[in-house]
Amino acid sequence: MDSTVDFEALTSGARVHGSLYRDPAIFERELDLIWHKAWVYLGHESELKRPGDYIVRPIGRQPAIAIRGDDGTLNVFFNRCRHRGNLLCHRDRGAAETLRCPYHGWTYGRDGRLLVPTFEEGYGEGLRREDFGLTPVPRVGSYRGLVFASASAEGPSLDEHLGPVKEYIDLIMDVSPTGEVELDTGVQKLKYRGNWKLLPENSLEGDYHGPFIHRVAFELHQRRSGLDMSSLYENEIRDVIRALPGGHMVEDYRGATMAPPRRQPSEARLQYQAMMEARYGAEKARQLLTTIPPLVYVFPNLIYVMTHIRRVQPVSVGETYVYYQPLLLKGAPDEINEARLREHEFGFGPAGLISPDDVEIMERNQRGVAAQGNDWQFIGRGLHRETRQPDGGASGFTMDECHLRGMWRHYGRVMNGRAAP
Amino acid sequence: MSDPVERFLYREARLMDEHRYKEWLALWADDGVYWVPCNEDDIDPKRRVSIIYDDRERLQQRIDRLASGSVLAQDPKPRMRRVLSNIEWEDKGAEIEAQSNFVLVLARGETQQVWAGRSLHVLRRQDETFSIRLKKVMLVNADQEMPLLQFLV
Repeated sequence: MDSTVDFEALTSGARVHGSLYRDPAIFERELDLIWHKAWVYLGHESELKRPGDYIVRPIGRQPAIAIRGDDGTLNVFFNRCRHRGNLLCHRDRGAAETLRCPYHGWTYGRDGRLLVPTFEEGYGEGLRREDFGLTPVPRVGSYRGLVFASASAEGPSLDEHLGPVKEYIDLIMDVSPTGEVELDTGVQKLKYRGNWKLLPENSLEGDYHGPFIHRVAFELHQRRSGLDMSSLYENEIRDVIRALPGGHMVEDYRGATMAPPRRQPSEARLQYQAMMEARYGAEKARQLLTTIPPLVYVFPNLIYVMTHIRRVQPVSVGETYVYYQPLLLKGAPDEINEARLREHEFGFGPAGLISPDDVEIMERNQRGVAAQGNDWQFIGRGLHRETRQPDGGASGFTMDECHLRGMWRHYGRVMNGRAAP
Repeated sequence: MSDPVERFLYREARLMDEHRYKEWLALWADDGVYWVPCNEDDIDPKRRVSIIYDDRERLQQRIDRLASGSVLAQDPKPRMRRVLSNIEWEDKGAEIEAQSNFVLVLARGETQQVWAGRSLHVLRRQDETFSIRLKKVMLVNADQEMPLLQFLV
């Protein structure tokens, strides 16, 4: 692509240029500079409980496999046979004693060692098994069970990459009475005809678009849960919207007080509350139970919204896959977790009552930016009242767009080669 | 056509095709469950996510939303026609268990989609007709990246 494109110019001044959603050459550059360099969210430890459990997921465009080793280590390899490059494992997930390439039978251990090259005598002295183990993805790390991998050997550590977003991940995980969550709950799979960046943009600004595209769903939700969400819209609250260093975004609801549910708590709910108090103490438990957990975007592909983790997978400049995995609370009463699943399905996935309106809107958004007459989007809400934060980020009011500006600022620097993703 | 079970299933299909939500909801028993499993046909819905798992109250809300006219993916409404076939049913006394295949063609905007699957209906006899106690729809693409499912299957 044209190397003179200045991505910081295309993303500055509270404006975003339309080409970033529709130019295939820019998409290719994103794969190189973002997806094949960044810490990409791969999955959750609970999906890989026993030795041999594996999941097959791409890092950008590169197929990878994460498999639990015999010693409990989590191994992540490029999913490619060292012999002729065949896709080693073609299923989404499963459990395997060994990884055997279906093409010519080369077989690898769960630790990636080449066990059997098949018809080995024909290789003479030319094949040393230790030179032909599976290629590990250079860097793997996890935080609170979330597993990330980077296809690049260099770059900031996972700890540096996450930085202040860890505090918000903690708030999500601490809704569990054991501090641990289960994501081994199945995967809703969706595709939409739009650029991948539309998803984080849309997922973390529900307060602004909510009254327009989710009005009926929110009314129904309120009727069912008894949770009054109107307070979020009537008075905008300071510091809800946060841009964090590294392109991460947060909707932080700790400052929002919710009208409590009108329904009487069930036995299971009381039991869950008691477990929470036992673990965190009365004050922190009360806080965790009476505020909405933050909505979080970890650049580039992890989104947490209310009930679930969303994993973003770019396919082409105009097509994206989304994977929704509801998050259950390890150790919580079964009834609580079952209710969480039903809550999730009601709102999200291909047939939910909330996120499909977002998906339809994103597809229309993609069609809209095909018009190049004035090829800029405006993300200036709250620019005049954006507050710098000690964590290096910025914050704004409930419906402000300061987090979008933060994400795009980071994107521009990364795409100009001036910052690590 | 004389088979009352087939007659019931065909009518249900037509109501779904024609977005006749309230009439469709009236086919349901008060304890009805509308289930579209995710990933696999036989999952434990208490531990695994489904695409849809509605009790009667949630089903009512799903229908209220669809009927509200505010569903963006229904603006405009897709044109749909489905074919039901391979109907097999068994009389289990108080209830009837019917299985059938469907192929659904949907057209909206620039797109045309084909959806298919197998449905299990557990029907309760009610007067001269039936009410739906369970409908489980096993989509062929339940484990694939799918477009929005903002209509009735």
